[in-house]
Amino acid sequence: MNARRVGLLLIVVLMLALALPVQAQEGEAVIKALPCKEPGKLTMWVWDENWAKIIGDSIELWKSEYCPGAEVELQVQPWGQYWDLLKTNAAGGELPDVFNMSQPFFYFYAVNEAVLNLQPYWDEFGVDTSVWGSGLVGPYRWGENGDLYAAPVNWDTITVFYNKDMFDAKGLAYPTADWTWDDFAAYAEALTDPEADVYGAAVYAEYQAGYPNWIAATGETPVVDAARTDCTLDNPGSLEALNFLKGLYDKGYMPSVSVMGGTSADDAFNFWASGKVAMITGGSWKLTQALQEVPFNWDVVQLPKHPQTGRSRSIVHAVGYVASARTANPDLAANLILFLASDEGQRFFAEGGNVAPANPSPAIQQLWIDSFGETDVNIQAFVDATYDSQGVTVFEEIWDVMNTELVVKIFDLGMSVEDAVAETCDVINEQLP
Amino acid sequence: MKGLLLKRRKTGPRDLTVPIQLFSYMVLLAGAIVMVLPFLWMASTACKPPVELNKLPVRFLPDNPVCRQNLDTLYNTSPHFNRYLLNSAIVTIGRTLGQLVTCSLAAYGFARFRFPGHNLIFALCLALLMVPFQAILIPEYMLIRKLGWLNSFKALIVPGMFSAFALFLLRQAFLQIPLEIEEAAIIDGANPLRVLWHVTLPLSVPALAAFAVITVQAAWNDFLYPLVVSSTPNTRVVTIGIALLQGERHTPYNLLMMGSFLATVPMLILFLAMQRYFIAGIAMGGVKR
Amino acid sequence: MSTLRPTTTHWRVWLARPLEWLGPTPLSRRKALWGLALIAPNTLGLFFFFGIPVLMAFSTSLQEWNAIRPARFIGLDNFERLIQDDRFAQALTNTFKLIGLAVPLEVGLALGVAVLLNLPLRGRNLLRTAYFLPVVTSTVAASVVWTSIFQPRYGILSQILKPLGLGDTNWLVDPGLVLIPVAVVTIWQRLGFDMVIFLAGLQAIPAELYEAARIDGAGRWGRFRHVTLPMLSPTTFLVVVLAIINGFQIFDQVYVMTLRTVPGGVGGSATTLAYYLYRRAFTNSEFGYASAIALVLFTLILLVTVFQLAIQRYWVYYEAESQS
Repeated sequence: MNARRVGLLLIVVLMLALALPVQAQEGEAVIKALPCKEPGKLTMWVWDENWAKIIGDSIELWKSEYCPGAEVELQVQPWGQYWDLLKTNAAGGELPDVFNMSQPFFYFYAVNEAVLNLQPYWDEFGVDTSVWGSGLVGPYRWGENGDLYAAPVNWDTITVFYNKDMFDAKGLAYPTADWTWDDFAAYAEALTDPEADVYGAAVYAEYQAGYPNWIAATGETPVVDAARTDCTLDNPGSLEALNFLKGLYDKGYMPSVSVMGGTSADDAFNFWASGKVAMITGGSWKLTQALQEVPFNWDVVQLPKHPQTGRSRSIVHAVGYVASARTANPDLAANLILFLASDEGQRFFAEGGNVAPANPSPAIQQLWIDSFGETDVNIQAFVDATYDSQGVTVFEEIWDVMNTELVVKIFDLGMSVEDAVAETCDVINEQLP
Repeated sequence: MKGLLLKRRKTGPRDLTVPIQLFSYMVLLAGAIVMVLPFLWMASTACKPPVELNKLPVRFLPDNPVCRQNLDTLYNTSPHFNRYLLNSAIVTIGRTLGQLVTCSLAAYGFARFRFPGHNLIFALCLALLMVPFQAILIPEYMLIRKLGWLNSFKALIVPGMFSAFALFLLRQAFLQIPLEIEEAAIIDGANPLRVLWHVTLPLSVPALAAFAVITVQAAWNDFLYPLVVSSTPNTRVVTIGIALLQGERHTPYNLLMMGSFLATVPMLILFLAMQRYFIAGIAMGGVKR
Repeated sequence: MSTLRPTTTHWRVWLARPLEWLGPTPLSRRKALWGLALIAPNTLGLFFFFGIPVLMAFSTSLQEWNAIRPARFIGLDNFERLIQDDRFAQALTNTFKLIGLAVPLEVGLALGVAVLLNLPLRGRNLLRTAYFLPVVTSTVAASVVWTSIFQPRYGILSQILKPLGLGDTNWLVDPGLVLIPVAVVTIWQRLGFDMVIFLAGLQAIPAELYEAARIDGAGRWGRFRHVTLPMLSPTTFLVVVLAIINGFQIFDQVYVMTLRTVPGGVGGSATTLAYYLYRRAFTNSEFGYASAIALVLFTLILLVTVFQLAIQRYWVYYEAESQS
């Protein structure tokens, strides 16, 4: 380990210690696994083959070290149909004992009392739930006391991915973490090259990776407020952010949705990876793919800061483990979830790379950064982005209208920001209680 | 020119002129290109290395094909893939044979016998085609669950042994066969099952080929139903195995297309093998009118 | 008769009477019994495995049910809500537009392709396979390629239309245009399916009829018009009925063409009844309301099909019936 790496590690540890309130002593686990009281049988659902492998390995460890004699039937379901299947099974009266949950879907299962309140177990296990950042667990809290119903599995944040070769070609210095929206706009202009069919930026696509990050930087909660009382898209902060992006689009620095080929963050990523745009907003989940597939020199930098608020805010999301309210083995289910969230259980995610583990232990976080091997890419930027981040407040019923339709209206059909958000808020308000 | 394009056959239409042939070819080829483009993309993407996946606009040939490597990666990612293929084959064969029996009997019954409620029952059977499957997904799941059939081949095969579509298809085919041919056999004292087996079915070979192609294809490609009734690798079919390759955050299109390609090949072989039954003369050839 | 031998026929009458509803004569009763026995396996199987779920779904249409909480009976409220639902009306209109756009072209093209591919052309098997390919091509591949074909600027279609000044036409996003790509993909996907049925039907036409027509001096068009079309009409009837049923249920194609832009189209412009039903059920958890939509959709298809069955006698020619 050379001096630079030691220094980097120290900074990482320091910053993590500041950002994620960790009270652990050195060498002691942040979240400690405990032996189960009585082994039994559980069914568990996950939606990703890679996750199934990682979770399968950690369950093996749980069975041998903490709960000999327990049986877990781990079933992988396709992501595209996961939520439909979950509802179908719920309709039949049979949810899996433990299953993966995503923040936009939690409300439905919570309000219908289909998920188990894990708070009594956190209290019993001596887990202080504030060790997890609020963006990770906030959306999984429910009820008057803000009981925590899920254990977060991972975290995802957003940064700007940029094509270094394009910066070099224009003789531009690479951006740094303290850049502002104005700097960003200047870069977008300088990098746009209609002759070469190259755009400066593409930074609006999709809820988590797109325009909501810019709204969040103004201090506004994007799309809806956490209490679900108000569509916030027509508030001043939202209008400012959307008009800023629309301005870049109108000047030809950003491609339309149709030119990119789609509304997803993946479409923006592919557009960038094929050398048609210099800067995009992208998630930490794209790191592995980018390291393997991108044929040019590139790096990431934190989102630019809003000139007035001075804030750069990333939307953060965490997948969670929840238990069914109707499980026959609630104690066992809670014990398994505790293990999967513990330092021991989360090591498997950290070592597997790709998915950033939710467990805030500095050792686990470092393990994740190291899992990418030797690279010049500033992976730390994603960790830094967790500090001032915005949790998910949107939900399934409004997903398409704010995730795709709003974007198409503004960045494709030429509608004004004010008209587009008015129509979108009409639809969203129908779904608010 | 004529010899080039026309198959040498003893009984081909003798008056197929060259301009007509050329015209047919041009029209058919133009259409065929549109038909095969997505398939070509599927086949070529199956051999693309990850670096080539994102290139715009869509490319139809890989620069550096890595078929073998992608095949290996597919089996690493989805170790049960062969099992899924086998399960699909079992389900497809079971359903097709089942439908062949139940639907040819029923189609014959509806085509040749009058009985009270004839039209009503036929209409009710057809009506079942008219309910979109998304609407009965949950009740279907609940029924199979009540029967205790979840995660079993029974659930995957038995309900698929009955079909309103095949009933309709075969009934229309049987109605096209002149009654007099059957009547000769009936006068000979053969019971209806023997007439069906020895006269009607052999006369319906092209329709049976169409039935086989469509039923096999539908059973093989069935997705939503097997998805809700099975969740263990032992009873999972290949369509679900392929869907499992799509992640929330990342879809490895090359592996996905490799899997889809492997699943398509048996269907293409079947279709080509069935071609010989789509030739004029088979239907009437066996019987002198 | 019974007055002559009352004691011995008593049990026969008793036995015969329950079967009398089957037909007026012993032969017709025997035939009816055969008919019922033949249709029994498929009919009972269909009624059990699909009839029961359909009835369950229809009973749900009178309830409010989110799949988790117990269902609540609400009478006809779901149907009253349907009448006032603008999005339902829009989905209904879109569905009819799509059927109008896709079905005539689909059936016409399939018939044309089947007739051409029934000619003894060299490479016929390969061409047939090419037309069948869409039926077995993965939906994901179809989605990627078709979206890219319709993509403005880079898409193949845009390149072709550029000289006409239509290079930047926004097919997949423009609410006024999006149904066209959906119809195109529907035709693309169903053509091979219809072609297979037509090909089978074409084989059943006796060659002697063509010979006879030729001797009568009929040209190619005459033979097509007076032999092929009438003899093929039971098959054509089948294909038309199935194409319309499928048209009412268009779902996958909407998904294929709008997944990458706005699922269901901007402002619901590509939303069909089946797609709307699915979204209401699985996205909004309104399973009762979705079932009401399904019931309306079912009734519509049933009415159209019954109408088709009723008018078939005017254009469908059945060999068997003409003989009896």
